[in-house]
Amino acid sequence: MDALYWHLVDFLQAMAAGLLVGGIYGLMCVGLGIIFGVMRVVNFAHGDFMMLGMYAAFYLVTGFGTLAFLGPYAGPIVGALLAGPIVFVIGWLLHKFLIARVTGARVVSAEAEGHYAQIILTLGIALVLANGGLILFGSTPVSVQTPLSRESWEIGPVFLNQARAIGFVIAIVCAIGLYLFLTRTNLGKALRAAADNPIAAAYVGIDVDRAHRIAFGLGVGITAIAGGLIASSQSFQPYVGFDFVIVMYAGVVLGGMGSILGAFWGGLTIGLVQQMSTLILPYQLQNTAIFVVFLVIIFFRPQGMFGRVWERT
Amino acid sequence: MTAKRRGLLRQYAAIAIFAAVFLAVGFLVRNSYYQLIMVLVLIWATMGLGWNMLSGYSGMISFGHAAFFGLGAYTVTLAFVKFGITPWFGIPLGVVVGVMAGVLIGIPTFRLRGHYFALAMLAYPLAMLYVFEWLGYQEVSLPMMRENPAAYMQFTDQRVYMALALALMVVCMVISLHVERSRFGRSLLAIKQNLPAAEAAGINAARWRMYAMMLSAGMAAAAGDFYAVILLVVTPLTVFGALTSAQALIVALFGGVGVLWGPIIGAAILIPLAETLHAELGHILPGIQGVVYGLAIILIILVAPDGIYWKVRDKLGERRKTSAASTGVASFTPVTTTLAEAPSMVSCGRDSSPVSRAAFGAPLLELENVSRSFGGLKAVDDVTLSIPEGTIYGVIGPNGAGKTTLFNVVNGFLAANRGSIRFAGAEIGGLKPHQVCARGLGRTFQVVRSFPRMTVLENVVVGAFVGARTDDQAERLAIEALARVGMADAQARMLAGGLTTKQLRLMELARALAPRPKMLLLDETLAGLGQRELEDILPIIRQVNREGVTIVIIEHTMHAMVKLADHFSVLDHGRLIASGPPGEVVKNPAVIEAYLGKKWMSRAQNQVA
Amino acid sequence: MLKIRSLDVAYGGLHALSGVSLDVERGQFVAVVGPNGAGKTTLFKTISGVVTPSAGEISYNGQNLLAVPPAERAQLGIAHVPEGRQVFASMTVMENLEMGAYTRNGQVRWKDTLPMILQLFPVLAERRDQLAGTLSGGEQQMVAIGRGLASAPELLMLDEPSMGLAPSIVDAIFERIQLVHKNGMTILLVEQRVAEALETCDHGYVLETGRVSMEGTHKTLMSDERVRKAYLGM
Repeated sequence: MDALYWHLVDFLQAMAAGLLVGGIYGLMCVGLGIIFGVMRVVNFAHGDFMMLGMYAAFYLVTGFGTLAFLGPYAGPIVGALLAGPIVFVIGWLLHKFLIARVTGARVVSAEAEGHYAQIILTLGIALVLANGGLILFGSTPVSVQTPLSRESWEIGPVFLNQARAIGFVIAIVCAIGLYLFLTRTNLGKALRAAADNPIAAAYVGIDVDRAHRIAFGLGVGITAIAGGLIASSQSFQPYVGFDFVIVMYAGVVLGGMGSILGAFWGGLTIGLVQQMSTLILPYQLQNTAIFVVFLVIIFFRPQGMFGRVWERT
Repeated sequence: MTAKRRGLLRQYAAIAIFAAVFLAVGFLVRNSYYQLIMVLVLIWATMGLGWNMLSGYSGMISFGHAAFFGLGAYTVTLAFVKFGITPWFGIPLGVVVGVMAGVLIGIPTFRLRGHYFALAMLAYPLAMLYVFEWLGYQEVSLPMMRENPAAYMQFTDQRVYMALALALMVVCMVISLHVERSRFGRSLLAIKQNLPAAEAAGINAARWRMYAMMLSAGMAAAAGDFYAVILLVVTPLTVFGALTSAQALIVALFGGVGVLWGPIIGAAILIPLAETLHAELGHILPGIQGVVYGLAIILIILVAPDGIYWKVRDKLGERRKTSAASTGVASFTPVTTTLAEAPSMVSCGRDSSPVSRAAFGAPLLELENVSRSFGGLKAVDDVTLSIPEGTIYGVIGPNGAGKTTLFNVVNGFLAANRGSIRFAGAEIGGLKPHQVCARGLGRTFQVVRSFPRMTVLENVVVGAFVGARTDDQAERLAIEALARVGMADAQARMLAGGLTTKQLRLMELARALAPRPKMLLLDETLAGLGQRELEDILPIIRQVNREGVTIVIIEHTMHAMVKLADHFSVLDHGRLIASGPPGEVVKNPAVIEAYLGKKWMSRAQNQVA
Repeated sequence: MLKIRSLDVAYGGLHALSGVSLDVERGQFVAVVGPNGAGKTTLFKTISGVVTPSAGEISYNGQNLLAVPPAERAQLGIAHVPEGRQVFASMTVMENLEMGAYTRNGQVRWKDTLPMILQLFPVLAERRDQLAGTLSGGEQQMVAIGRGLASAPELLMLDEPSMGLAPSIVDAIFERIQLVHKNGMTILLVEQRVAEALETCDHGYVLETGRVSMEGTHKTLMSDERVRKAYLGM
């Protein structure tokens, strides 16, 4: 009986850890999902923008002590939230000067070839960001240490890491905020219209290139916040993006690409899979478990990719 | 045929000259570090050729060629370390492992399209990376063999490696060349440009892609094999890492996609650049190599999206407007049969005698209780039809009535949920599109599915493959088909992308006619045409029919249909609501209610009569 | 209201339009007809700014339209209902209409235009919460026209509203367009179905291979021997 009890505790503990980390993964996926949804571009560099968010949070909190006055509790949280706008601006600029040249209204007609140009361009950006990061930030792993990282709340026999739990709550608030923005505001609806049919959007007076720029900035910014939240419970180095890029793709594909809510649930599920896999698999194979899930998803629910249930005539 | 051979010989000469020059330069270089860089150029060029074989020719972009590279590298290394197998055998073994991995990965992954394929391919090497780390192969070295090193492919003189790597690369180039110039390459190109059209034209996409994958994986594995032999140490990150996959894609894309010289040019420029920078600046700027590759790829996408090779050719003005277009597409050897000879072939080449339009033959296509639904929607609902040989059979009905779905079910794009489809006496339900096409049932599409970057003739040749044993015969069939639609002149050399709607429709018709089908399914071939263009096309369709091809046509343009078809069937909500001679069907009240509209009769008076 | 003077458009050396001049007066119903590939859709795209002309002038209410960025042109009161409908398939019918009212004028007049649209196309009221992509072709065309009207435009440009629709539905759509025109809307229509278009318009232009080959009032064109022969099948 005792052994069974501890198995159950292990199970609940892994599930709790999976939920907490999954919430943050969900937010990450939402960021990637909005870019794919609006621009129909698979952003290969998304993990690296998240890495930028992590370092932004790191330098805000630890590096320059900018947020020292907020104290050890609020500082990292505000740091993570501020990473959003910083990376938003970087994304906005990269879109304006690079990505816009292979996307948007002008290349809408370029069919499949256009998509490859985009995905390959973002691959180039990924390489520059990751390796440029290595030059700028060095290869030593760092993390945003807070007292919260070490403390836990106990719910029965299950421990909840405080940094992750707070990160989870913030991630959910951000995701809901974004959802409301997209469904309730005019600008949000305009983004969706530009996503759906760029030509028609231009005819009703929506500036499609601007919509793409906003979506790209928003997408990388949201993911940077998620990165900033993760930064306080995990150490990272400039190549960390590659580890997360599959997590994000898996989540977004699982949720159905283009669907914001779906991306969130997808990310949450991936978090659960990753943590629960430790119950039966060696720790090193955590990510392999995600790859397997990812492959299973794309083989059996590829139509989820575009989140479209009708056929265009 | 001689021109074809001359083109091939010219390429052989170019490869030979390149190899000789490379070897000469290599033997002059004394610095062993530069020699190593030259070997790496060859290895990455081979890897790039591997990537190009799949992604460049067939358009399925792979982000995961490191999987094959890594498997090759680890096969050689582990065979050596664990079993003492010399790389002389280890390399072929690695290639075999790579090809097998290609098959195993290809079978499930080819079901995916576009982004999915790229993403799935990304996952394989990364998953392998973690598995190899977990297995404890963090860093495996090849032991130095002091006795008889040559038997273990260990040489003190780097130039021996260079000669071996060069030989390997030349073999891969020759394979690429032959693929490019054959039915194999053209089929891949057709698949790349328009998959449904290629399948409907009788190309077995699954088979060609799998061949491309096997060759591609084998080349990448060979590159990995050699890499391990040269560097004597493998780690999961260096052989399975994302940068390895990226490098394959980058050298090919930078140099020129879809052409065998591309990866060579790309590797020759980028590898020395990145390696030198890494050697000079690596200690202060640790990621410099990756930055260089990243910038290279950004630059190439913005400035010359198809790579240096095509950009230079464009600048030199060598690429005639009529041959392969502005985006990376292999150019083909010119057609040797002159188009003027074509008409004579039409008369001698026909195998079926004209059928008089009055007497229709036995049923050629029979549908029995065919149904197909999507979710809850019954797109085709219990349709039973019998189409006699020699007719022009019209299928009409409102939008969404299931007409195109019906065609898709007949030609194999969609499986029927229920019912049987018999063509020329044999069941064809369940066959793949290319098999249906091979039985003699061709089709065209509502939205013309052309291969926009091929010439008209090349487009039609692709359609002829299914009915031809050799490439030359395919060309003859194509010319014959073009003559039948009146395009056997200068138009045949135009790029399909620059055609008017009417020309595209005719070209598509010719493509479907090329393998000499018994029956054609024409999906709104007349849509979007003006009155005058209709007057041009209708006689061609009638003529084709008179020559023995049974025609089933979907159409909206009623007055054209009334003039053309012998027999109408009307679909509404997937069901057959009327069938019979045109004059009767248009007076049928159910048809007027569902489809024609009240004004039809009044307006049609002066047209039918 | 809309004045086009000797407009030239070229795509990669190929002339899509050459020397096209055209006038639309306030309250008029102008139709441009002609075979496929004659440049009708290119003409519309040039007016909307998706295509830039190589020569010529377009003025709208006296203003030089070519100097206005494409996204701003909708704000001037020009609504373009594109060829092939192009609804926002993943959005509801209502959201489609709201997007039509994305312009300033559309926002201000929304309270009046919405009931008008729903009255014109009652089926849209029934389907208001349905995704536009799940509608039939005819219903999608109604959404597209409704979306155009939602911007409370001065000029409604319709690009082949009959495309791919069954004849009975085309008849219904043309009835509605005429109704809109009777209520005072200025309409510029591009159509391949010459009979329907010329029956309903005040003034027509025949466009052939990028040039205006004929123009005139509805009566002159309908009785013109060449038009009757080439396009009306008489």
